[in-house]
Amino acid sequence: MKTLNYIILTLLLIAVSIVGCEDNLELEPEQSLLPEVAVSNPANVQNILTGIYDEAAQIVSYGGQINLASELLANDTDLSWNGTFEQPAQLVEKQLVPDNTFVRDYWLNAYEVNNQANIVLANLDVFEDQTERDRVEGEAKFLRALAYFDLARLFGQSYEATGGNAQLAAPIVLDAVLNPNDITSPSRNTVEEVYTQVVADLQDANNLLPDANGIFADKYAAQALLARVYLQQGNYAGARDAADDVLQNSGHSLTATYGGAFNNDGNSSEDIFAWQITSQDGVNEMNTFWAGSDFGGRSGNPDVSINGSFFDIFDDVNDERSQFFYNTSGGTATTKWQSQFANIPFLRIAEMHLIRAEANFRLTTTTGLDPLVEINALRGRSNAAALGAITLQDIIDERKRELAFEGFALHDIKRLQGTVGTLNYDDDFLVMPVPQRERDANPNLMQNPGYGN
Amino acid sequence: MKVNRYKLFVLVFFISSIALAQQRPISGTVTDSKGLPLPGVNIIIKDTNRGTQSDFDGVYTIEAADGEIIMYSYLGFITKEINVSNQNEIDVILEEDVSSLEEVVVVGFGTQSRRKITANIASISSDQINEIPTPSVQSTLTGKAAGVQVTQLNGKVEGGIKVRVRGISTISSSQEPLYVVDGIPITNADESINDSPINPLIALNPNDIESIDILKDASSAAIYGARGTNGVIIITTKQGKRGKTKVSLNSSYGVSSATNTRDWLNADQYVELITESALNVGISQAGIEGQFDFYANGLDWRTGEVDTDWQELALVDGSVQDFGVSVSGGSEKTRFFMSTAYNNTDGIVRGNQLERYSFRTNIDHNLSEKFRVGTNSSISKSIIDRISNDNAFATPLQAIAQTPLSPAYLADGVTPNNNTTEYYNFLTEEFNGNFKTNIWRILANVYAEYQILPELNFRSEIGYDLLSQVAERFSGSLTESASVGGFGTTNTVQTEKYNLNNYFTYNKVFNDVFDLEGTLGMSYEDSFRRAQFNQGQGFPSDDLQTLNSAAEIVAGGSSRTRFNFLSYFGRATLSIADKYLLKASLRYDGSSRFGEENRFGWFPAASAGWIISEESFLNNSAVVSLLKLRGSWGITGNAGIGNFASLSLFQGSPYNQRAGLAPTQLGNPALKWERTTQVDVGLDFGFLNNRISGEIDYYVKDTEDLLLNEPVPGTSGFPNITRNVGEMKNTGFEFIINTKNIVSQDGSWSTSLNFSTIDNEVTKLPGGDIIAGRNIVREGETVSSFYVVEFAGADPANGDALFIRNTVNADGTIDRSTTNNFNEADRIIAGSPYPDFIAGLTNNVTYKGIDFSFTFQGEWGASIYNNGGRFQSGNARFFDNQTTDQLRRWQQPGDITDVPQARLFSTNGQQASTRYLQDSDFIRLRNLTLGYTIPKDVTKKFYMERVRIYFTGFNLLTFTDYDGYDPESTADFNGDSNIQVGETFYSAPPAKTYTLGINIDF
Repeated sequence: MKTLNYIILTLLLIAVSIVGCEDNLELEPEQSLLPEVAVSNPANVQNILTGIYDEAAQIVSYGGQINLASELLANDTDLSWNGTFEQPAQLVEKQLVPDNTFVRDYWLNAYEVNNQANIVLANLDVFEDQTERDRVEGEAKFLRALAYFDLARLFGQSYEATGGNAQLAAPIVLDAVLNPNDITSPSRNTVEEVYTQVVADLQDANNLLPDANGIFADKYAAQALLARVYLQQGNYAGARDAADDVLQNSGHSLTATYGGAFNNDGNSSEDIFAWQITSQDGVNEMNTFWAGSDFGGRSGNPDVSINGSFFDIFDDVNDERSQFFYNTSGGTATTKWQSQFANIPFLRIAEMHLIRAEANFRLTTTTGLDPLVEINALRGRSNAAALGAITLQDIIDERKRELAFEGFALHDIKRLQGTVGTLNYDDDFLVMPVPQRERDANPNLMQNPGYGN
Repeated sequence: MKVNRYKLFVLVFFISSIALAQQRPISGTVTDSKGLPLPGVNIIIKDTNRGTQSDFDGVYTIEAADGEIIMYSYLGFITKEINVSNQNEIDVILEEDVSSLEEVVVVGFGTQSRRKITANIASISSDQINEIPTPSVQSTLTGKAAGVQVTQLNGKVEGGIKVRVRGISTISSSQEPLYVVDGIPITNADESINDSPINPLIALNPNDIESIDILKDASSAAIYGARGTNGVIIITTKQGKRGKTKVSLNSSYGVSSATNTRDWLNADQYVELITESALNVGISQAGIEGQFDFYANGLDWRTGEVDTDWQELALVDGSVQDFGVSVSGGSEKTRFFMSTAYNNTDGIVRGNQLERYSFRTNIDHNLSEKFRVGTNSSISKSIIDRISNDNAFATPLQAIAQTPLSPAYLADGVTPNNNTTEYYNFLTEEFNGNFKTNIWRILANVYAEYQILPELNFRSEIGYDLLSQVAERFSGSLTESASVGGFGTTNTVQTEKYNLNNYFTYNKVFNDVFDLEGTLGMSYEDSFRRAQFNQGQGFPSDDLQTLNSAAEIVAGGSSRTRFNFLSYFGRATLSIADKYLLKASLRYDGSSRFGEENRFGWFPAASAGWIISEESFLNNSAVVSLLKLRGSWGITGNAGIGNFASLSLFQGSPYNQRAGLAPTQLGNPALKWERTTQVDVGLDFGFLNNRISGEIDYYVKDTEDLLLNEPVPGTSGFPNITRNVGEMKNTGFEFIINTKNIVSQDGSWSTSLNFSTIDNEVTKLPGGDIIAGRNIVREGETVSSFYVVEFAGADPANGDALFIRNTVNADGTIDRSTTNNFNEADRIIAGSPYPDFIAGLTNNVTYKGIDFSFTFQGEWGASIYNNGGRFQSGNARFFDNQTTDQLRRWQQPGDITDVPQARLFSTNGQQASTRYLQDSDFIRLRNLTLGYTIPKDVTKKFYMERVRIYFTGFNLLTFTDYDGYDPESTADFNGDSNIQVGETFYSAPPAKTYTLGINIDF
């Protein structure tokens, strides 16, 4: 009888403890939001939009490595790679392997940007204010276009103005992925298809965005990027008109000095759009690789040094741009990225002048300004003597003098059908391989020629 | 002359002793209580050196005189003494020593006699633990238990340790066993701030440990349900014993050095090789010499003014100091054990040090005959001088990359040279920085036990575990943080864990035949982690190193996270007539970690044993003393995943100080624990009164629902998601044999050998191959196999690196031709990071006051990939210093070599290939101890019960063909990746230690 009592007591104790503890198993994270909350109201969707800028500004992308890839892949003798990272060394040697982690991360980051933009675009209905909705849609499309533009330029053969462009670029994915069932295994779209998507997104963005939008993308950022895209396509009229629109209407103007355009904590008058870096947020990866170690650069001091042959392009010793360098133990460093916590200019008004001048020159038009006047104005800002007459080559050289090390090198060579050393602009090894991890995860992706199967 | 006199004295002594005794032969038979003859019994005339042994029939003959005492001793039996008076024949019956047979094994929620267990449990006792001069508890287990692989990542004193029980049963979850200290599962999370793991058990003082029991099979581990798959390590601390108070003192001091160093080019060799490498790519002689001039910083490298041995600067002499006092004892009602200890380990890697203070109080008190209460509490503080992880210029061993032409210091001889080194000079870290981590750990539990009925007992225990850590790092104005004027980080973590266990135990013998034991109870566990950090830059002076002086706080944050487990468990064991053993257990586990759809799960286990030697046909056998057949089956889980892995999540992602959100993971509401079904068949045996004993086991461990961070197409915006897919199988044999080679009055010699095979195979991987770095998870292969291109040496014609294509031909054959285009060669599975055979051999010898023991440990079948090889042994592709084997590079057509032509800044064979993969089989003299206990009659004069002086050596000898630093040292910065394993990257070798010590008991 006594035993029975104890057994009852035991069962009772256990029953009580079940009731007491079960509820505790429902825990929610304190640093994260569940998706249904994250897309539930305008403030949160706006936050996701802001998050895309942060994603795009990662070191692997516009924080610096995309620009590095363009400059190093296009390099023959002008630059030396002094760093220890093997991934950029492969760029210099044009010996990329498909498991190069920089290459992998360009791809992954571009699609992270893309998916976050898709999430925002899929949840625009939370906005009741049409103006706000338009702005958010425009920014998301600007960022998505940016991602696809570089996917096409890095992973596909160059856009041929003569048409066709059936060469493979990267898959276009426009549906938001918020749960595992949304994942697809897409095939690569053609260069033509991707450029079409980019142009469509940028035109939408240009229409939807306000004239000014603080540090975020506005109407003219979309228009300026569109000018860059058109130029890459050889659509000179489109490029000219877009650049002209920016120059006429955006309110941005050249800084008083060349140096004034760089190493700024805030945007300069010249910045149509810049990646924001502060000591508390973001990393200026351009500084990491291009600055001496006393200024925050890596141990190559600098990892990318500028060789003597580069300076051949200058035609005037007083040109401020030819003196925008300093010496450290590893060689000559560019001053453009000397400040560790400065913004990274992305769309400068100087580029718009160069685009408009080049397009006008090619089309023998003078929309906005005569090309000679425009080029001399730009030279004048850097104390370079005015030219009496110009050729297309002068404009191209001016472009290099002005925009060196800002990520234009590879794309200009491809556009102008130049060479890198002995490699023709359309050489297989001036295109990145589709990352190995991506092909391991998605069998529908064909590899680029030259990188095995 | 003196020696001769001594010999003479001995001779005289012997003669006189023979002359004094009137000896006659005495004979007889020695049997056990059942009348069975005992062979090999030691028979000695007390206080003499005369002795013999009984023969196979238990018969003996010995010369003895009246008045002398004959001693009969036999292991497992109580020694008997008989006075010789008039007998000529003395038959002796020895009684079994019951206490020695009933070795007790700690199982979850209770103990069991080893004789009756039906599971596979390895036990390690305190004397084995105390022999190893290391601050890490886990290191004491190396080579001691079959099927248990213990590897310290590398030579850092606080370094992470991997313990793998019966292979790898998971890919994405934790591979670490569950640690239970005095009944309470403890926190085992690494809280390092720099990716180089800190051993979370560093806070435990090994000298406080009485025993460690490892639950290896499912029938024992299933009582820990969802966390049993990786095995359970049960640590029991020392308890006081009734009787005289004992004061024990231990003090030891040792010196240590790296187990191995490598050969690097000296200045002359460096100049030769790099010059050749530069000329080969068209750099001028003057150009390369200019570079050398730069490195030499004004010294003349041509005349040998500078030849820096960077390895010697990085790997230094270390030391180990250990001091501990314990007081234990007790009365009828109260028993206690108190201890305090200090350990100071100076690492063999420059700038790495550990200091630990620990205190423990264990008390056990009987309130009444039925009511017992007690506590086990310990506090410890560890102070660690840390260094960077292996993947940083600041870590000491990366200095081997520096050229021998760069002076280590500036002309003042004190300030590290950072002006002309190829890379950041690690010496600056010590000179101008500080990286300290303080860890406070409290482990405490209080319990009450009440005997409700003679056969029914109730125990309630509450445990508390606090791991509190403060990591502070300061990098001054000369370090890599020079550009921001110095950089400081403070990072604090507090992880608390509460645990409540309530359980009944029942034990009753029915009809003298059925012995029933039962356990029934519940357990609740809640772990809460808080973390805070701050970073600042711009310091007014290198002497002001706290963030109070920072010009700007550049980062900060705090986080909280939590998980819990609610469990119910029951276990019943039934032993029938001490012959037939049955056990069944069931656990019901729920955890916050799992998806809503699968929050709770059942974990059953059952086992049976048959003690054949108790059967009538064997129980009279003189040869067979124990024969037990056992088999077990059970299901365990692995819950070692993130706290919220089942949820899709968005996290804060600010941009330019504006709030932002970004998706961080794709969730899966069906996510649950990995499920392992394990079957184990074993045989325990003992022959010749257990002079030879051992265990043989065979197990099959089938894991399904593997949690995989499965790579998904990156076009989704996510690199991977966690899913329950995949299956894996581990099978293995385990063999243990213990022999008592010599058992006598004066001494003994025993040997213990264990070896085990581990065969791992990924049996199902629906998503296809998972590749991370150089490792692959592929169906049909060992998990994390190496997957690289096959290297084929240098092309004799032109010095190009060659690779074997290994592509599949149209007819299905493999193309074994070579190519100099790396991209044309396919990767192959080229080895495994895990051994398939591990062994341990321990010998213990005692002779009078001398004790001697040593353990060899061996591992076979694993390989190590040197990810630093492309820099270290890359035929001078970079300015990095090279291993001397690179001197055999290709130089001219016709040269047959495996080192391609040196080409500065031009890739020629440095890609990931089998060139940098090597077998890492080894045998190691893990430890060796020689002790001498001063005779008691001497020490008694000084009021000391026992004085022992000892020497211990640790990692003394290593036999291996592996060319890298050490076959056990691997990179520490992939700590979280289960797939990227077996890689070394400037990883320091472990320490070799020589220690002298003394134990004194009062």
